[in-house]
Amino acid sequence: MKDVYIFAIESSCDETSMAIVKNGKEIESFTVLTQMDTHAKFGGVVPEVASRMHTENITMVFQETIAKSSISMDRIDAIAVTYAPGLLGSLLVGVEFAKTLALVYKKPLIAVNHMIGHIYANRIDNDLKFPLLALVVSGGHTDLIKMNKDYDFQILGSTLDDAIGEAFDKVARILGLQYPGGPNVERLALQGQPTYDLPKPLNDSSYNFSFSGLKSSIINLVHNEQQRHHEIRKSDLACSFQTAAVDQLKRKVKLALKNGEYQELILAGGVSASRYLRHEMEEIAINHHIPLSVPDFKYCTDNAAMIGAAAYPLFLNHQFADFNLNAQSNLPITSK
Amino acid sequence: MYTLYIDTHSNQIVIILYQNEKVKIKKELNSNYDHSINTIPTIIEVLKEAQIEIEQLNEIVVVNGPGSFTGVRIGVTIAKTLAFTLNIPIKAISSLYIKAVSFPHEKIKIVEREKNGVFVGTFNSKNELIGEYKYLKNSEYDLITSEEEYKENVPIDYEKIIENIHTISSQNPHGVNPLYVKKIEVEK
Repeated sequence: MKDVYIFAIESSCDETSMAIVKNGKEIESFTVLTQMDTHAKFGGVVPEVASRMHTENITMVFQETIAKSSISMDRIDAIAVTYAPGLLGSLLVGVEFAKTLALVYKKPLIAVNHMIGHIYANRIDNDLKFPLLALVVSGGHTDLIKMNKDYDFQILGSTLDDAIGEAFDKVARILGLQYPGGPNVERLALQGQPTYDLPKPLNDSSYNFSFSGLKSSIINLVHNEQQRHHEIRKSDLACSFQTAAVDQLKRKVKLALKNGEYQELILAGGVSASRYLRHEMEEIAINHHIPLSVPDFKYCTDNAAMIGAAAYPLFLNHQFADFNLNAQSNLPITSK
Repeated sequence: MYTLYIDTHSNQIVIILYQNEKVKIKKELNSNYDHSINTIPTIIEVLKEAQIEIEQLNEIVVVNGPGSFTGVRIGVTIAKTLAFTLNIPIKAISSLYIKAVSFPHEKIKIVEREKNGVFVGTFNSKNELIGEYKYLKNSEYDLITSEEEYKENVPIDYEKIIENIHTISSQNPHGVNPLYVKKIEVEK
């Protein structure tokens, strides 16, 4: 079969990223321009600033991505773009840019769901082994998903309140850590022990998650210790939180593996960059005698390579978008 | 010589194809919050009606604001991408300039209204901006309008825009960006 080259664009939050992806898995060219330093000054992503920076940088990121590859736009088979979910203003810049490329180069347009992109980050330099169990963990999502085949998503469970990445960011703020919270909590946790007693939320037989109770108990704990003029052992508290949060993920993943037949366990989403989470999931996979797939670190955070990977099955099915494609801030992974 | 004009700064989308400095096709669309859906399809319609291919465009003119932040970003993103990929010149003009150039005047203050206030720019008789664009809240603007001459409602003369386009210099597409004027919270 003829090789398929997809030019992919991702701009759903604070990274402007583009990639050329061959056959849904080989990365021919890859650029990520992060705005993290700018948003760190504000203590979090400012949507209007993010949209502005995408507009400023979009043609430069394109120029760089093309320059790094021997694949010219003539050889590209389709233009893929993240259209949902994410920050609306940021998504719009990528979508309008992608439509313009599709118009100029006369290529079909493929609309990709960002969260499906995170799952397909596991297909880069790899194969997906169905049926698989996917744990999707990010700033906006905590989902346990079963896939029997490409683009077949059965949501077994989801968070009932905060996403795990959101909980990490909030706890980081309580501990006085800088944005981005998740990696900073993890760094601090490395120096501590799980000495604080925290609740075990949703210790039940569902596949759902809950993190807001954990976060509230940390707020209360810090408040009470301050009232008593006790020193808070921040590294121990970070470690206790991380252990409790990941413990909940572990319980639900083990439960799903016990109750179903799977060929593979995969991790996806920004939080899958957590070394502690990777390590704990590795142990579960070994105990259940199935392989664990985790994206390379550079494909865990928001990036266009995963969008190109996720666009490939859509390309094979001729599922193309029209020029009236719009961005959407919210979109379930299961929506067609 | 084909020039494509893109204006998405207000609740209207205006796409014009000029041929040899004359309006050949003009599409105006009321598109409140749907610029992202309608802008590219309108450009496609214009090209189709003119029976030209996109590669035949020689120049892009974009209204880069001030106006709706999202609206302007849509037009500017499309315009700079077209100019970069087609490797043709791009010129950015403001939403106040297109009013100023549309009628003969001496030194004049041009006003462009938005939801909570107005953008103001002072132009000389040659349509050159004097000083900088300013943003005034409605309450501030109401206080001064009684005293001075401000021109708000000007029918845009699209032929005049193209007749005068030679006075505007083209830019590197990477550097074409929206003119926001109004400060956002984190800039204050």
